[in-house]
Amino acid sequence: MPARKLYFESIRVGDELPALAKAPVDRVQLARYAGASGDFNPVHVDETYARSVGMPSVYAPGMLVMGFLGQLLSDWGRGAQLRRYTVKFVKIVWPQDTVVCKGRVTDRFGENGRYFVEVELWAENQRGELVIKGQAQVQLFFSLEDENRQRSGQAPLVVQVQRESLYQAPPTPAAAPEPPKAPEKPVASSGAKKAPARKSAKEAIVKKAQPRRAPKKAKRR
Amino acid sequence: MLDKNAIGRSSPPTLNEVEKGSIRRFAEAIGDYNPIYYDEEYARASGFPTIVAPPTFPASFHSAADLRELLGVGIKSLLHAEQAFDYERPIFAGDRIMVSTKVADILEKPGPAGKMDVAVIEDEGRDEEGNLVFRARRTLVVRTSKELT
Repeated sequence: MPARKLYFESIRVGDELPALAKAPVDRVQLARYAGASGDFNPVHVDETYARSVGMPSVYAPGMLVMGFLGQLLSDWGRGAQLRRYTVKFVKIVWPQDTVVCKGRVTDRFGENGRYFVEVELWAENQRGELVIKGQAQVQLFFSLEDENRQRSGQAPLVVQVQRESLYQAPPTPAAAPEPPKAPEKPVASSGAKKAPARKSAKEAIVKKAQPRRAPKKAKRR
Repeated sequence: MLDKNAIGRSSPPTLNEVEKGSIRRFAEAIGDYNPIYYDEEYARASGFPTIVAPPTFPASFHSAADLRELLGVGIKSLLHAEQAFDYERPIFAGDRIMVSTKVADILEKPGPAGKMDVAVIEDEGRDEEGNLVFRARRTLVVRTSKELT
């Protein structure tokens, strides 16, 4: 039985994704990832080689860590379609490091029956250091009703949605240069930064009595 | 150090067949046990036609590109700084995707130890009808010995 899906109507700017704590990275995982990805760069699997190029040991390929953040994203966004996913690798992840992935909804907008949410993502190691940060855009059905309509071949539910953004300007595309500014202590979400979750009148009409932001369990598999 | 003339160099499309076993092994390597990557029935009940690939799965695709040929520098000398994916649709088990690679840009950026050589590599995946499936953009920095930690 699939877990409940995520719909646009229940997402608010400022919502935090349930944090994902990964098991410590080990050399077996690095070997498995090398095999699964076909990236056999020896700095990730060959200790002797890694030392010979001045590294203290082998280390995780960035793409593995991006995979961790991707897991956070798809665990949260069940039923959503990923449109864009970008990251910057900030710090190397070493064997024995434990990575905790986090994320937060920064933007919410819709047009012509298509609904999108932007999420900022980041992960820290056990020392609290930022190791990766990124952004993703997902497309969602507005509601279960919208999904049922579209799956039965009807036109999407069109709801006028006002763009809401956590920051002044909407996030720029991935290609745009951006100073390496990390979300310092994003977890301590100061109420000040949270945008008020406003809804347009039209959206409020369409919405049926619906539980406010059903709390999601972090893991249920 | 990198040759600006490399910009625009590309590799011909290479066929990648997306196998269920490859998806499973890829998800297992990440430690991601979401059943949509393993269980056909679950994936269907979740609204997908079949088993889905994780977001970073295109990292496992082969292309005919040899970075050493395209850039004059091998993968061992390159550090992965940024990665971007744009998805036209999810990737499913059974997909047959043609992947091509090109050098999108070569530039110099200021780094902690002076100027860094940066290469931007773009991969593009299309289905057999030629429809775009995804675009991937890798930003690679040429390793200059000890600016790493």
